[in-house]
Amino acid sequence: MHEGSQAEMQAASWGQTCGAGASECPILGVCWVPKAIEDKDFYRTVLSGVNTFQSPLNSMDLDWVYNCLGLHHQKKVAAGLTGKEALIPFPLLGPATNPAQGRAHLKQCSLLRLSRKQKRLCRREPGLAETLQDAVHLGIVECQYQFRNERWNCSLEGRTDLLKRGFKEAAFLYAVSSAALTHSLARACSAGRMERCTCDDSPDLENRKAWQWGVCGDNLKFSIRFLKNFLGQKKVGKDLQAKVDMHNTNMGIKAVKNGLKTTCKCHGVSGSCAVRTCWKQLSPFHETGKLLKLRYDQAVKVFSTSNEAVGHSELAGPPPPGRLSKGPSAPRPTDLVYMEDSPPFCLPSKYSAGTTGRPCSREVNCDSLCCGRGHNTQTRLVTFACHCQVQWCCYVECQQCIQEEVVYSCK
Amino acid sequence: MAGAIIENMSTKKLCIVGGILLVFQVIAFLVGGLIAPSPTTAVSYLANKCVDVEKNHQKTKWYLSWGSNPCEKIRDFDEAVSRQIEANDIVFSIHAPHPHNEMSPWFQFMLYVLHVDIAFKMDNQIKNNAEITFNVSLGYRDDMVSEWQPMAYAEETRKLKCAFNYPKTKENEDSFYDCDVLSFMEIGTVAHKFYLVNIRLPVHEKKGINVGIGDIRDIRLVGIHQNGGFTKVWFAMKTVLTPSIFTIMVWYWRRITMMTRPPVLLEKVIFALGISMTFINIPVEWFSIGFEWTWMLLFGDIRQGIFYAMLLSFWIIFCGEHMMDQNERNRFSSYWKQVGPIAVGAFCLFVFDMCERGVQLKNPFYSIWTTDVGTELAMAFIIVAGICLCLYFLFLCFMVFQVFRNISGKQSSLPAMSKARRLHYEGLIFRFKFLMLITLACAAMTVIFFIVSQVTEGHWKWGGYTVELNSAFFTGIYGMWNLYVFALMFLYAPSHKNYGEDQSIGDLGISSGEELQLTTTITHVDGPTEVYKLARKEAQE
Repeated sequence: MHEGSQAEMQAASWGQTCGAGASECPILGVCWVPKAIEDKDFYRTVLSGVNTFQSPLNSMDLDWVYNCLGLHHQKKVAAGLTGKEALIPFPLLGPATNPAQGRAHLKQCSLLRLSRKQKRLCRREPGLAETLQDAVHLGIVECQYQFRNERWNCSLEGRTDLLKRGFKEAAFLYAVSSAALTHSLARACSAGRMERCTCDDSPDLENRKAWQWGVCGDNLKFSIRFLKNFLGQKKVGKDLQAKVDMHNTNMGIKAVKNGLKTTCKCHGVSGSCAVRTCWKQLSPFHETGKLLKLRYDQAVKVFSTSNEAVGHSELAGPPPPGRLSKGPSAPRPTDLVYMEDSPPFCLPSKYSAGTTGRPCSREVNCDSLCCGRGHNTQTRLVTFACHCQVQWCCYVECQQCIQEEVVYSCK
Repeated sequence: MAGAIIENMSTKKLCIVGGILLVFQVIAFLVGGLIAPSPTTAVSYLANKCVDVEKNHQKTKWYLSWGSNPCEKIRDFDEAVSRQIEANDIVFSIHAPHPHNEMSPWFQFMLYVLHVDIAFKMDNQIKNNAEITFNVSLGYRDDMVSEWQPMAYAEETRKLKCAFNYPKTKENEDSFYDCDVLSFMEIGTVAHKFYLVNIRLPVHEKKGINVGIGDIRDIRLVGIHQNGGFTKVWFAMKTVLTPSIFTIMVWYWRRITMMTRPPVLLEKVIFALGISMTFINIPVEWFSIGFEWTWMLLFGDIRQGIFYAMLLSFWIIFCGEHMMDQNERNRFSSYWKQVGPIAVGAFCLFVFDMCERGVQLKNPFYSIWTTDVGTELAMAFIIVAGICLCLYFLFLCFMVFQVFRNISGKQSSLPAMSKARRLHYEGLIFRFKFLMLITLACAAMTVIFFIVSQVTEGHWKWGGYTVELNSAFFTGIYGMWNLYVFALMFLYAPSHKNYGEDQSIGDLGISSGEELQLTTTITHVDGPTEVYKLARKEAQE
């Protein structure tokens, strides 16, 4: 990574969020992943990217993320080329007919910390870099939304350490990240941002013929295949941790797949259903997030069993209850799996900042959130917007109302 | 021997003919199932959000989010808020097809539906009976560099039918409404390679336009077109079927004109059925590859309508002509009660189709279902057509019942009849039962395949082969009704043993006078009733 030096410099001030010896921007540079498991590099980078966001998202965070994604750097370069991209936070990416854009995505790819294969894919696919950024954002926001009332609030502090362990939280992170990637890839396909979406992997002429004849697959199938290829899942490490991580990754992909809704349209003679066409559409990512959270709550603890006859180990969960079974059963593909019980996340540790100072709601979660330390009660006047006139986009005209509000926060 | 070929054919020959037809039937299914891809493809497009930076909102400017002259794009509307971009400055841009593909005339038609992703916000909820109004322009071009040519422009209003499946609390903000798809556009020809749709959702608070439609996050279009491969297979099938049905039609009519008597009603109806089948078969669609004929969809509907009406009329008349009671029919007018509903129903559907697809020739974004009056009108037409169809089936069932009742009555008295009379009635009964059987088989096949294709997901994996069920359904059923009409014209053509073969009649020991008489009584040409005539014959004997 000879271009890495630029990112390194930008990341320098943020080094503290990374572990010791981290030299790169933790959003997509990997602070901690050893070079050896490079296939999973990108994937972990996305996760550790999630790690670096503060909640709620503020402009500085965003700025930082962009910085880490190499976008500010990108801006400087692009401004020199066309002067136009400087206006917008994300450069325009699309089929690279514009030479400036063609170079833009290559630059972006080189700034991402990716394995050689991933980099090749990224260069080939002009929309990929942007899509990866989308996925990071989507994953962060959803994770923090789902965990807003938990002791571990999906904060970015200590996440790199968290990901090294086999906690439930790490399992969720893996699942939500792969789900976000799948979702973003499929969306990018239908937005026309990716070039080879449905009739991929074939020479240009064949591709066109397949489209004309009508044998192209759908976007989601493509994105799942692409993602599996991209994450390089064929070479899985032998240790249990790697298996657990992969299981959870696949579970995230499945969650998106299972959330598909089929919609049909009849268009036969006089609009009758003699001819009917159906298509699948992604459900909103919120719903996927909800499902993953549900699975997180019911996550299955696993241990390793070695099958001596075959010579490889497999994941094994607890035997199914209520039934006499011979031994441990393999976890279902729709389960989240973890290996270690989570720490309480009450006090500051290397995994989280603890719950001190976290706002809570008295009836719901103050007791559990504050870990029995009790909470502070504060009464204050808040001004908030009310009686709003809202348009569908971008325009809100509100009156200001003042209300007394009681705020609770953990001691 | 009197009557049609089917009566004179030996069982062996009949089996051979049946076997050959069956082989063709299987071929028709296989052509669709193995060669053709699925009949249609749905491609989903996510609209890119462009910013109209020019203040005067030129309608002639086109916004495309990529390519050589891309628009200024925003990622989401939060960005628009921070940059103080107004709702009226936002243009949703959809390019069909996706990059690196092009449309082709083989796609036959383009049908687009619209999804709106609306998030729930406590202070920005969807009002009751909310309507969304969009200005939409459609442009095309045939290469990647030239200017976009305008094709259609319209201001359209659609009703938002959305439900929110969670409690409407602060907690559930940002969850999405579950909205019905909106019909968007239908074009009966795909003559160009690239299409661009620009949608604006202008806000006009005083007029109440686009007020209270919630927090729109995204607009998605789903484009449906016929697959090129399916079109080719379909055209090939039509091209092969046209001459074969046409040939048998000519042969059939020659047979009829060779007879000494004028053609009777049933023969004319079968011929008309053949004509309407040929009318469907003629592959005029080939022209749609070279010409921009948007009316092809409408024309196809009309052709199908004519055929269905003809088929239904044929069944009624066939039953009536085999009633074996003493009523004199053989005139079209004597079936007005049964054919009336068909005519009314077909006319209703025709008017409805003209209101929908007819108007779409002028404005591709039009849909009769979008307005209240239109919906009621459309429903009225469809309900009337439905009632007519029910009425028709009641009549048909009643007639079939009558025929069977008469048959059982006749069968018990058959042994007592003279040979000529018995042969005549046996022929009638056989003809009727045979047609009954194959009609029921065809109808059952149609219904079964229709249900199967609706229930299953469209294709079966079978070893290394993928069987496209939907395509197999279309080609198979289409082939089946062609074979039905073919078989009808072949088997129910007057037998050539009717005339000029005196020795065969002599062999059977029936006088030629009686033979002639019986031939005509089948079709009730003569004035006196059958019973009277037969009684007179017997008396003469």
